[in-house]
Amino acid sequence: MNPSEAAEHFAGLVGAGRFSSDFGTAKVFVPRERWVEAHRTLKPHLPFFSWLSAIDWSNERAVGEPAESPVEERYEVLSRLGDVTEGNAVILSTDVPKDAPSLPTLVGVYGGANWHERESAEMFGIVFEGHPNTAHLYLPDGFEGHPLRKTFPLLSREVKPWPGTVDVEGMPGETNTEAGDGEPEAEA
Amino acid sequence: MIDNRLAAIHASDVSVSVELETPEMTLNLGPQHPSTHGVLRLVAKVDGEMITSVEPVIGYMHRGYEKLAEVRTYPQITALVNRIDWVSGFANEIPFMVAVERLMGIEAPPRAQYIRLILTEMARISSHLVFLSSYPLELGAATPLMHALRERERVLDLIEGVTGGRFHPNFNRIGGVKPAAGGGSGQKKVLQDLPAGFLADTRKAMDEVDDVCDDMVNLVLGNEIFVKRTRGVGIIPKDRGMEFGVSGPNLRASGVKFDLRKSDAYLPYANFEFDIPTGANGDCLDRYWVRMEEIRQATRIVRQAIDGLPGGDLQAKVPRIIKVPAGEVYVRAENPKGEMGYHVVSEGGRGPYRLKIRSASFSNISVLPWLLVGQLVPDIIAVLGSLDFVLGDVDR
Repeated sequence: MNPSEAAEHFAGLVGAGRFSSDFGTAKVFVPRERWVEAHRTLKPHLPFFSWLSAIDWSNERAVGEPAESPVEERYEVLSRLGDVTEGNAVILSTDVPKDAPSLPTLVGVYGGANWHERESAEMFGIVFEGHPNTAHLYLPDGFEGHPLRKTFPLLSREVKPWPGTVDVEGMPGETNTEAGDGEPEAEA
Repeated sequence: MIDNRLAAIHASDVSVSVELETPEMTLNLGPQHPSTHGVLRLVAKVDGEMITSVEPVIGYMHRGYEKLAEVRTYPQITALVNRIDWVSGFANEIPFMVAVERLMGIEAPPRAQYIRLILTEMARISSHLVFLSSYPLELGAATPLMHALRERERVLDLIEGVTGGRFHPNFNRIGGVKPAAGGGSGQKKVLQDLPAGFLADTRKAMDEVDDVCDDMVNLVLGNEIFVKRTRGVGIIPKDRGMEFGVSGPNLRASGVKFDLRKSDAYLPYANFEFDIPTGANGDCLDRYWVRMEEIRQATRIVRQAIDGLPGGDLQAKVPRIIKVPAGEVYVRAENPKGEMGYHVVSEGGRGPYRLKIRSASFSNISVLPWLLVGQLVPDIIAVLGSLDFVLGDVDR
């Protein structure tokens, strides 16, 4: 199956109406209530658990470029499943509201979700209900805050500006400070 | 007198047939322990010599690359990604480059793709050679290290000759490979291609790598102690491995004939003939054997790639300031450690809005709490080593 067929096929299996396959990446959107059920349905077809992570869609940003147009405030949780025969794979996606960031755990379906969920929990502050181990995975025990949230500043950058700015390019979040004279790339 | 004592020892039942009552003990291993390849800590509960539970503690080397990527431009991230799994730095760059290129709708020219492929396979060879030689060392055999590291150094020299770096090549550019060196803005740039003699030297090095694999068969697989310490130890059943995201040689050792080089077209592997070696039992011995066979397949691919190396440009036309159109893409690659992939989320700017790094070793060792239960304490070392992880690839 090519990615667009895969997206349609797996969306059909889990009964999801929204799916996409932009840039060859099959993605199926499932509602939060059917998150675990969708994984259970797909497990016989896609037994390989590749990863789980999240995106913080935020308009208030301490790092990176400011939003050009406002985004819908939410956490998007992604999990990537695949097979080990033809290379079919799909990303399942669900939205988690920021005022109640919680999602049932997948540990009962894919054991490998354990560490990935612990990582997303500490990095984004998402609560995975029913997770057997809520200790920090990467961060020290007493660490406060959720570093991958867009509102979490990168302190080293606050203390000292990035030395890479001597480069010809401006950094993300700065106005374009192109120092070069705009000569075109040399032809090979 | 002495004879009597000896006879008594012989007469005593040396195999433990009595259920010994031993209190449960907590055994801490690491974070500074030679067998952990860096800074992995294991907190094991043991009942005598038997492990009843294990809790790996990671994060001692967490460098926060996913956050750092959000404040860097795409070209600058190249320098970050080849530090993830530093034993095969070159291979880490490929899926990131392909992901960005796919979002931008450009493709590296054929010659650049072939150079990427040759160097990726050489990174695989050097990574696997480190494993082939250091794993027996952990089990008590020092000689193989001397043999395999010599050839690995030769491969690294060749990589260094092309890229300028042994461990962190930083050689890929969006749209191709590093095209030019020297020259200032006022001067005409001096074009850089593969160094003179690279192809012939590589061909010779590949023969020597094959030879060292033959040596390893005699030295290591012919060693009864090694075989006894690894056969039937640390078995990962297929289903369990897939559920935990165990990938690459570790999963193929469990009998899964799956290789992203065959299924995902991130480099022109379709142009070459090679086999996917698989194991039968999924034990430590199979994991060793699969990696050794993968080296032979890699040398086969490199030879074919040298024969078919096309001419032409090293770099596609890319804008001077790289801005990536809005969108999301996930590109994965078959790295020496397993599936390595990048999920790039772009809002149309000069740096990614979010970069998720899927590293192979992280998932590969996430199976440890399940895998080590019921094993003996000395087998911790055998099992850890056989998974061939790098802590930079675990912690990112």
